[in-house]
Amino acid sequence: MENQKDTIVIGVIGSDCHSVGNKILEMFFTSEGFKVVNLGVMVSQQEFVDAAIETNARAILVSSLYGHAEIDCQGFRELCIEKGLDPIILYIGGNLAVGKTPFSVVEEKFKKMGFDRVFPPDIDLKQVAELLRQDIKEKFGSCSKGQEARDRANQAGLENQSQAANQIGQGDKNDRKEPEGSTAE
Amino acid sequence: MSRYPMKTVVSIDIGSTWTKGAVFGLTASGLELLARVSVPTTQSNLVVGFHETLARLLHQDSHTSLEELKDRAEVFFSSSAKGGLRIAAIGLVPDLTLQLAKLAAMSAGGKVIKSFSFSLTSSDVKELEKLSPDIILFSGGTDGGNSKYVLENAHKLESSRLSCPVVYAGNRAVAEEVVNIMKSREVIVTENLMPEIGQVNIEPAREKIREIFLKRIVVGRGLAEIVELFGAQPKPTPLAVFELISAIPEFYPEWSDLAAIDIGGATTDFYSNTESYLETDTVVLKGIREPKVKRTVEGDLGLRVSARSLFETGQDYLQDRLREEGLEFKDMEEFVGRISDKIDYLPVGDKEKKFDQLLAEACIYYAALRHIGGWKEVYTPQGKVYMQTGKDLRRVKAIIGSGGFLSEERTAAVMDIPLRKLRNYGEEIKLLPEKADFYRDRYYLFSLLGNLIEKYPREASTLAVASVEKLNQKGEQND
Repeated sequence: MENQKDTIVIGVIGSDCHSVGNKILEMFFTSEGFKVVNLGVMVSQQEFVDAAIETNARAILVSSLYGHAEIDCQGFRELCIEKGLDPIILYIGGNLAVGKTPFSVVEEKFKKMGFDRVFPPDIDLKQVAELLRQDIKEKFGSCSKGQEARDRANQAGLENQSQAANQIGQGDKNDRKEPEGSTAE
Repeated sequence: MSRYPMKTVVSIDIGSTWTKGAVFGLTASGLELLARVSVPTTQSNLVVGFHETLARLLHQDSHTSLEELKDRAEVFFSSSAKGGLRIAAIGLVPDLTLQLAKLAAMSAGGKVIKSFSFSLTSSDVKELEKLSPDIILFSGGTDGGNSKYVLENAHKLESSRLSCPVVYAGNRAVAEEVVNIMKSREVIVTENLMPEIGQVNIEPAREKIREIFLKRIVVGRGLAEIVELFGAQPKPTPLAVFELISAIPEFYPEWSDLAAIDIGGATTDFYSNTESYLETDTVVLKGIREPKVKRTVEGDLGLRVSARSLFETGQDYLQDRLREEGLEFKDMEEFVGRISDKIDYLPVGDKEKKFDQLLAEACIYYAALRHIGGWKEVYTPQGKVYMQTGKDLRRVKAIIGSGGFLSEERTAAVMDIPLRKLRNYGEEIKLLPEKADFYRDRYYLFSLLGNLIEKYPREASTLAVASVEKLNQKGEQND
């Protein structure tokens, strides 16, 4: 029952073209039972919102790795409200600030901007998926059907997967230090 | 009738002003143009003009009955149906489903008279009632996606006084519900224009629009009689050109990546057949990936009926060109007034001819601006990247001018000048043809050949390619 999956929109915001982590997130959340709409890299606020409207998405998961997230996300929640997406869940994760700002400061800043949850780059994705399911259930009274059963069946498998994803997520961090040749001219 | 080779094929296009026809000889070596005629369209009963055209093409006197003429040739025909099918497009988000609805309507040979996004307001509905479109193309939501707006709009359409058929090409999950809501309407359900974000699926909707067109167009004014007698359905004129542009590269790969422009009295049509986006690391596509074969039609750009709106839309371009040519703005304004009042007016003298040329240039400039996509430069920490929106026409190698005006043009100037001016349009880099040659559809045959595409694709493509003439690129502008 394709229709019963919860739709989430993911993408890398602004002028950021880190594409590796983005693809991992797509694979991971798909395996977690979500219907993932991946907008890829260099996504504007408007594109996130447009896609969320057409697909009736429950959540938008914004990634940012290049340090300009604060500027890129200015007014994101307001735009959602303006477009009638009031209840939508907004998550953001990645390298959200340049330099050594403590994460608690970063988190507070983005929560003030209207993001429901803020994640550091080394977060365990499995945890994110759990929180997402909870938040969707709370706000929309549904969750990805059949997921719990599958969870039980694949427990061991998923554990490995999330660890692997987490490790690759770390790899993505290295991308930042050595810009990817593939996305730069 | 030994004059005719193996088989005689006739193609007739019933336009809003002229009924044009051509007779071809079909032999083993292909199609050959034998004669071409035009007679004024008889609006009250289209059969009269059709009959006269056919009789003249077959060298018979006008008393020969249609039944008799019928046996002398294989007949194909198209009709512009008062300048094309008038379609109202409804979508959800302007850049996504609504954009696709507009593209689908235009590539089916229709004219988008109005488009609406998100919820229809009561004044939108009133406006729709006033416009009285031939078809409403109704979309919104990906499959399993948003249904709120579509259902809301379905209720509003149901309680309106509109009577036209509705093609539903939105969220599949609520298609049945939409049909139930719109009980008193003719609702034709087809596949979603955008089943997933970014996935373009306009063919099924195009096909439905074409079917409705056929049913509608033959009602009244005598066309049903022709259909019954000849056992053939008419094609929408713009669709005929669309199909020809689609077919040519299939038989002549050297003609792949081509574009065609047709300027008429009321509209300007722009066709392109080329891959819309080449994926590279430095170019990121935003919005939808446009179809390989694309038609756009501009209802505000035309040389006679739409001259006034063209003059308004084209202010910037025309001012610039008048300055270059050393001509007075108010003289041109007066000329535009004259041709708008008398749409069969033919320009007299060099100056008026120049004005006509400038109007044609403006049609091309704005039609190309809307048809062709662009790049914006973005500096990222990883280097310079281009963001592409719309369609990339850089690889187009041939641009063919058709329609009454461009078929008569002997130099490339009318097409070349406006396209060159577009290179410096704003901050965006327009993805214009980089190294294209210009051609003219010398005998104004494209729409007539398009009628033959279904039955004789190779032969019609061959004659189309053979009948275009390459134009002098530099163009003697003072000619």
